[in-house]
Amino acid sequence: MRGSIAITGLRTFLGGRLLQRIAERQPERALVAIDLRRPHRLPTPSRFQRVDLTDPTADGRLAEIFERERVEAVVHTAFRSDPDPDLEYDHELETIGTLHLVNACAAAKVKRLVLASSTMTYGPRPDNPNFLSEDHPLRGHPDAHNVENRREAEAVLADWASRHPDTRVTVLRTCWIMGPSYSDHVVRYLGRPVVPTLLGYDPLLQFVHEDDALRVFEKAALEEHPGVYNVVGRGVLPLSMLLRLAGKRSLPLPAPLLYRLRYYPSQGQTGDPPDGFYDYLRYLWVADGARGWAAFGPPVYSTREAWMAFVSARRMRRYR
Amino acid sequence: MSDTPSERSEPREAGLDEIRTALDDLRGEIDRRFRPGEGGSEDLARDWIELFDELRARAGRFGMAEHSGEVDEFGMDAEAVRRARPLLDFLQDRYWRADVGGLGNLPPTGPCLLVANRSGLLPYDGLLIAHAVARWRGDAVRPRFLVADWLMTLPFVQPALARLGGVRACRENAQRLLADGGWVIAFPEGQKGAAKVFRERYRLQRFGRGGVVRVALETGAPLVPVGVVGAEEAHPILFKVGTLARAVGLPFLPVTPTFPWLGPLGAVPLPSKWVIRFGEPLAIDRLAPDDARDELLVSRLTEELRGEIQRLLEEGLHARPGVWG
Repeated sequence: MRGSIAITGLRTFLGGRLLQRIAERQPERALVAIDLRRPHRLPTPSRFQRVDLTDPTADGRLAEIFERERVEAVVHTAFRSDPDPDLEYDHELETIGTLHLVNACAAAKVKRLVLASSTMTYGPRPDNPNFLSEDHPLRGHPDAHNVENRREAEAVLADWASRHPDTRVTVLRTCWIMGPSYSDHVVRYLGRPVVPTLLGYDPLLQFVHEDDALRVFEKAALEEHPGVYNVVGRGVLPLSMLLRLAGKRSLPLPAPLLYRLRYYPSQGQTGDPPDGFYDYLRYLWVADGARGWAAFGPPVYSTREAWMAFVSARRMRRYR
Repeated sequence: MSDTPSERSEPREAGLDEIRTALDDLRGEIDRRFRPGEGGSEDLARDWIELFDELRARAGRFGMAEHSGEVDEFGMDAEAVRRARPLLDFLQDRYWRADVGGLGNLPPTGPCLLVANRSGLLPYDGLLIAHAVARWRGDAVRPRFLVADWLMTLPFVQPALARLGGVRACRENAQRLLADGGWVIAFPEGQKGAAKVFRERYRLQRFGRGGVVRVALETGAPLVPVGVVGAEEAHPILFKVGTLARAVGLPFLPVTPTFPWLGPLGAVPLPSKWVIRFGEPLAIDRLAPDDARDELLVSRLTEELRGEIQRLLEEGLHARPGVWG
C-alpha cells in the first residue's frame, strides 16, 4: 500500500491548493494536512494535524505523526507569502521550522521531501547573467528577511540531505506566481491603482502561472524528481510593458525616494512591500527554467499569458 | 481555468472584432465595385484597398499604442529596433559616413562571434556593427552586442540598451545566445577600452583572460575579428576624473572636449569619419570544444585575434582620408 502525503502550510496558496488538487485527482491517496490552525475548508480524504513548527518539540510531534500516518512524502510549503513585521517569528517559522521538519523526516524515514523555495533567493544583482541556472550561487538580499529565511531553509535542507541520502529531496524554486486567484505582496503591489516604479530602471520580469506551479508541485509530491528546479514560465517582459498591457499607470520615482516611501503611512505594515523588494524591480534575477521543463513538462502559460490571466481576472484593464 | 488566457472575453476585444469584420466587408464591397481592369478606376481601387488594409491593421493594434508588447528573452524589443532604424541609418550613412568593408568574410549561416575593439563611452560601436550586419543580411540576422557591467547598471542607459539588443557581457549570456544560433559582438577590452584616453587611441588593451576564444571553441561559433575606426574620435577622452566619478558611482568620469562642459549635449558624439572592417574568421573550425581547456592554445589564439584586429585598425586608419573624412 502506498504511503500518505503530508503537506505543511495549508493556509499558503501552494499548500492549500496542492492539497485540494491531489484530493480531487488522487482520491485514494491518504493526505495529512499540517498547520497551526485548521483552515476553513479541508478536502474530505485529508486528516488535519495541528502542529506549531516554531515549538521546540515540533520535531518529535511531526515524527510521531509521520510514522503513525505512514507518510511517504512531505511537501513543505509553510513559508509566508507576506512577510510579517515580526522578524523573529518569521525566522523561527521558516528557518527553524524547516530544521524541525527535516529532523522529523529523518526519524520517520520519509521517502520524499519537497521544499517550496523561490527564485528570489538568487538575489537581484546587476552582475547576474540574464538566465540564472539552478547551479548559480544563492546570494539573496541582505534586507529581505523573507528571502534570507528561505535561503537559510535551503541551506539547512542541503546540509541535512547530504547526511540522509535515502530521502529524495526536491527543491522547487518558483518565480513570482500570477493567476486568477493567487495573491501575495507582489500581486498587491502590481494591483495598485498607481504603481510606483524606479525611475530609469525597467527590469525583465518572469512569472509562472498558478496552475503550472501547482502541476509541478503535484508531480514532485507523487513522483520521484530529486534535485533543484526553477519553476518559471517561458519568456520575460519588462515591468513597463507589463503595466502597459494592464493599462496601469506607473509613477516612476527616484530610487532613494521610493525606498523611503511608505504607501499607506497610517497603517505601516499592511500595504507596503517588504524591505528590499524594490531591488527586485531594479536588477535582473530571471531564472532559467529548462531543467524544470524537461523534468515536469513544459509550462502551459508563458510569462505574458500568466500576466494576462491575472489582469483579466482582476478586470484591471481600462478602456482607452 | 483550463481555457487559454486570451483576452477575447473582454468587451473591447469584441468591439474590435466587429470593427475588423466591418472593415473587411467594406473592403470586399470596394473590391467588387472597382474591379481591376475597369478602366481608370484601377489605381483608385488599389489606393483604397491599401488604405483599408492600413486601417484594419491599426484596429488590430488599437490600444497597444505603437508597442509590440513583446520582447525576446534578452529584452530586445523588435518594435524599438524598428523605430530606431532611421536614426541608425542616419548615423551610419550621414553622420559618421561609415565605410563598411569585408562583409563577405562573414559566415553565411549559423552562429557567429564578432570580436571588435571597444572605444567611446556609449556603445555606439556595438550598435553600428549590429546595424551594418543586419542591413547587409536584410534583417535575417540581428547581432546582439555585449555591454560592460558598469553601463548595464546605469539607470536609463540599461533599459534603452536592452531594448536595442544590448546584453550584459558575461560568459553565460554569450554561450546561450551562440548556442541558439545567434550572432554576438564581443569587446574583450571591456572597460579598459572604453576608458582609454585620446592619446592611447587605436592601441588595443589586454584581451581579458581569453574568455571570447573559449566561448567560441565551446560553442563552435566562427570567430571573426572586426576593426572599428572612428569611434575613438566620436568621444575623445582628454582625461579622467576619479574622485568625483566614485562619488556618483561610476568607474570613471571622462572629460571630453564637449563633456561635461555642454551638459547633456556633451554626450552627443562628434561626427568623425568611421571605417568598419570585418576580417577573415580565425581558423578554429578544426578544433573541438575540449580544446577550450588548453590554456596555451587559448592564449595563442587570443593573441592571434588581437593581432588581427590591430591589423584591421591600421588598415582602416590608412583607408580613412582624415579624422573628419
